Amino acid sequence: MAAFKAAFLNELEKLYKKRKFLVALFISLLVIIAGQLVIIGIRSGFGLRGVGSLEFPVLVLSIVINTILPLFTALVTIDCFSGEFSRNLMRITLTRPVSRFKIFTAKVTAICSFIITNLLLLFLLSALAGFLFNVHSATFTSWSKILLAYLVSALPLFLLALLLILLANIIKNGTSVFFASVILFLAMKAAGVLLSQYSGLLMTTHLDWYKLWLADFWPWDKILRQFGLMLGYGIMLFTAAFYLFDKRDY
Amino acid sequence: MINSCKAIEITNLTKLYANGRGINDLNLEINQGEVFGFLGPNGAGKTTAMKAMTGLIKPDRGDVKIFGYSIRDQYELAMSEVGCLIETAESYPFLSAWDNLKLQARYYPKVDTKRIEEVLELTGMLKYKDEKPRRFSLGMKQRLGLAAAILSKPKVLILDEPLNGLDVEGMIEMRNLIKRLAENESITFFISSHLIHDVELTCTRIGVIYDGAILNVDYTQNILQNYASVENYFVSEVERNGRI
Repeated sequence: MAAFKAAFLNELEKLYKKRKFLVALFISLLVIIAGQLVIIGIRSGFGLRGVGSLEFPVLVLSIVINTILPLFTALVTIDCFSGEFSRNLMRITLTRPVSRFKIFTAKVTAICSFIITNLLLLFLLSALAGFLFNVHSATFTSWSKILLAYLVSALPLFLLALLLILLANIIKNGTSVFFASVILFLAMKAAGVLLSQYSGLLMTTHLDWYKLWLADFWPWDKILRQFGLMLGYGIMLFTAAFYLFDKRDY
Repeated sequence: MINSCKAIEITNLTKLYANGRGINDLNLEINQGEVFGFLGPNGAGKTTAMKAMTGLIKPDRGDVKIFGYSIRDQYELAMSEVGCLIETAESYPFLSAWDNLKLQARYYPKVDTKRIEEVLELTGMLKYKDEKPRRFSLGMKQRLGLAAAILSKPKVLILDEPLNGLDVEGMIEMRNLIKRLAENESITFFISSHLIHDVELTCTRIGVIYDGAILNVDYTQNILQNYASVENYFVSEVERNGRI
């Protein structure tokens, strides 16, 4: 456990020191400010209500879950794996008394921590903007539901990160991994529209599963089915990615 | 826990690449406190052997034991007493020299800030501790790599071309450091180099590797009794095996 803790802390420190975390925070803030300016513009220009304090964080989530969050996840994940493979930096950790499984798990956990932190920051910033600039229409229960929607959104992003880790272990070049992941992401989005009967199986469809948690009565059958699918994908992707990471020569 | 007087045991170690190069059926035993020199021309298999010894590559066959612990099955235990510098000294370019060592110190509960300062001083890097390696010369990177290798006070040091990029002064300092650590702290060294003169001056036992196989292993003292220099011995060994 001590070796895992050391590897995990190191991964977090590397993430923080590379300033990717701060860039993500800054862009998140920009997205929220831009969103809020649009809402204020609609309200004063067209006389429409726009959104209430409660709807604003949901509006932000619906936008970022399909745009900047997958992008940040991709950049951090690729840097964490392909970046270290290409510059031989993985050797620094691999030659320490820590197993490859612990190194791999520490990296995955650090990426998951980044995703959760990013989601929580987005929630706090959008909630704050919602309170300050929009009509107050919220209760404690509705806020807790929105917080839950943000938190459950981490799960499909974890899957995306695992898919990227798998790609990073197959494709040598980090830039190629990035472009392959963008193409794959767009292909899955397109397949979701063109083959709508199979869209439930696609990873990109799960990005919207937070909507299930916003319903007045939670549709447990759908929630459990999607959770089961994501869990299955997660186990398969983790196993395949670790297999390649473990077999690799450094 | 040290449960064997053999510091390193290499048994039938084999790793062959698609191009046919690599190492084939390597067998070696290094005693505790020895400074073992691994001599061989470029492409002979020195780095491959050292990578297999430190778990960076998985061998096709065979095993390496460090103080009795298998690198294949008991990796964490085997590496707990090992410091290494393989191929090139790598460091995170976005972290300062100090932060680079701090990150690596986390794996060793006994290593504190005092020890980090000590190794930086030993390698002549203390005055650059707040600078980032992206601005370092090859020699400075090498010194930082060596500082990282000796950080945990390991009982075994595996160094692949440790004098790479060092100036004459740096080479002499490094040679003295190796001798001092071997004599005072009984550290076992496994050093690969193509600089035969340096191997002659530093190592107590020498193994010659050629084309992925060990040609001979002998004590430096014995070699110098029979040959004018280690270089003559090396050429003779390679010739005797009909490979030159």
